[in-house]
Amino acid sequence: MAEGREIRVNVPLLARVEGEGALEFTVRDGEIRDMKLRIFEPPRMFEKLLEGRPFHEVPDIVARICGICPVAYQMSAVQALEAAFGVEVNDWILAMRRAMYCGEWIQSHALHVHLLAAPDFLGVSSVIEMAKDHGTEVRRGLALQALGNELIRLFGGRSVHPVGAKVGGFHRAPDYEAVTRLADRLRAALPEAEALVKWIASITPRGKEQAYPLVSLRHADEYPMYRGRIVSSDSLDISREQYDEHFRESQVPHSTALHCLLHGQPYLVGPLARLALNRDCLPQPVRDALDGVGVRMPVRDSFLGATARAAEIYFALLEALRILDDYERPAAADVPVTPRAGVGVGATEAPRGLLWHRYETDAQGRILAARIVPPTSQNQARIEDDLRLSLQDYGLDRSDDELRQMGEMVIRNYDPCISCATHFLDLRVDRG
Amino acid sequence: MSRVAVLGLGSPFGDDRVGWEVAEGLSRIPWAEDGPDSVVTVDCLDRPGAGLLERLRNADCVILIDAMRSGAPAGSLRRIDPDEMRADAESPSSHGFGLAQTLALGRALGEMPSNLVLFGIEAAAFDGSRISPALEAALPGLVERIAGHVRDLLRAYSAPTHAAPEPRA
Repeated sequence: MAEGREIRVNVPLLARVEGEGALEFTVRDGEIRDMKLRIFEPPRMFEKLLEGRPFHEVPDIVARICGICPVAYQMSAVQALEAAFGVEVNDWILAMRRAMYCGEWIQSHALHVHLLAAPDFLGVSSVIEMAKDHGTEVRRGLALQALGNELIRLFGGRSVHPVGAKVGGFHRAPDYEAVTRLADRLRAALPEAEALVKWIASITPRGKEQAYPLVSLRHADEYPMYRGRIVSSDSLDISREQYDEHFRESQVPHSTALHCLLHGQPYLVGPLARLALNRDCLPQPVRDALDGVGVRMPVRDSFLGATARAAEIYFALLEALRILDDYERPAAADVPVTPRAGVGVGATEAPRGLLWHRYETDAQGRILAARIVPPTSQNQARIEDDLRLSLQDYGLDRSDDELRQMGEMVIRNYDPCISCATHFLDLRVDRG
Repeated sequence: MSRVAVLGLGSPFGDDRVGWEVAEGLSRIPWAEDGPDSVVTVDCLDRPGAGLLERLRNADCVILIDAMRSGAPAGSLRRIDPDEMRADAESPSSHGFGLAQTLALGRALGEMPSNLVLFGIEAAAFDGSRISPALEAALPGLVERIAGHVRDLLRAYSAPTHAAPEPRA
């Protein structure tokens, strides 16, 4: 029994940081105490790195913060800097930024659904084990991921030296032929995405609904990605410049990451929040797919995050097609930019949720100060709450192993961005 | 379809760049001189994760170059048998899906190139935006040694049997 028993569960999230647990909690007298989720956040390091750099270097630098969502970091940055300089980009640039962003949603969501969620739901140790019995689904997932990457590359986003978006537009416009070729492949993938929604929903265990506010962008004309006001399920409706008046970041002793709270409360950003607050902006086929699997918004069950991601893959394919089917190559891929001293804020929907940037520049456009609030730090307090509630509900008299597994599964539901810093090979040779 | 695809893996942080730096050096070599049929492509990838698999499909032979930590002196080059890498390090983040896991997934799906070689280069420091002086100094030698493996592969392909040999260890 849990009563009087003290257990310490320690999950090393960052396997390469030896001996450093990333999740620790203690159970005493049948209650969870000292829930500590440690998240290493590269953006903090980058904020300092950006100071003194010329504005045109910012999109390249921030794209290196995360190996999985470089486009999101570029998009919030160019939006903020264009606001600081009073630059208005044209409709073509807005549309193409949205199409490029679709590529990132597709590839990032495909990774989460297939590498993290599906193995958990099927009760196997990893996607490698899953590939044995579900090879077709794994191949479909990897093909969707590759297609998302292809869409990013169409706009010049290369892996090592990202040169896609820039302040004022794009470095170059894609060729018409390349666009139509890719559009054909996106169209061919639509049935795959529709099938993915059905499949992932069919293997998803349902958790318990929990109560918390949902936060995302919202725009009258479109499902939120690149534009919109910041709204919540508790009827918050503010401009991106008003973020600081309602959201507060604070340091917690156990983590280098900052906790971010809305009016003092934990909240959720990401696919489930976006879907709940913007269902009416989804194209009919995506609404039908969600209805078809019995997911009625809003849901506050983190296990359904994977189904939400699959639905957003389907949406992003349709949306990229809608944009690219009308593609015309413009005379110029950017608008003129004249730097000035100013302050600019950018807010876009990264795959994991709201990504907020703020920059102060001098008259030459050099960065005086940078602030980056990534989705994972906004979700961190919510993840800790979810862990407490889910584990309590699961039963604290379970074995350490069972608790550890459930804890990991809950964390994975949020697809936390925790280890984008380095990626070296930690070589341990097992000579059995 | 290229005959030999060289992929430098890494991130912009300190010695984690070494796979890119070596690949950069290899890309400056005029490979076409090695034979009329030889085609060598060299690319750098930033933390590709499982996305690496799509890059393995279009080549007969793939050479991966990555930074490693094994306790050897900085700059040591080691040819690693992909089978001896442990893929059991679990990570609850899609960001943490490492090379060993990616290659294990490729094997499970039966989607590996017929010839895959992995070179690890011992790193010293993973901070800053440049590689450490020790690795900087070792770069020309590292490029030359891996170039030697590429030449071996090309010779094997231009031989009448078209059988790729095991590269020198």
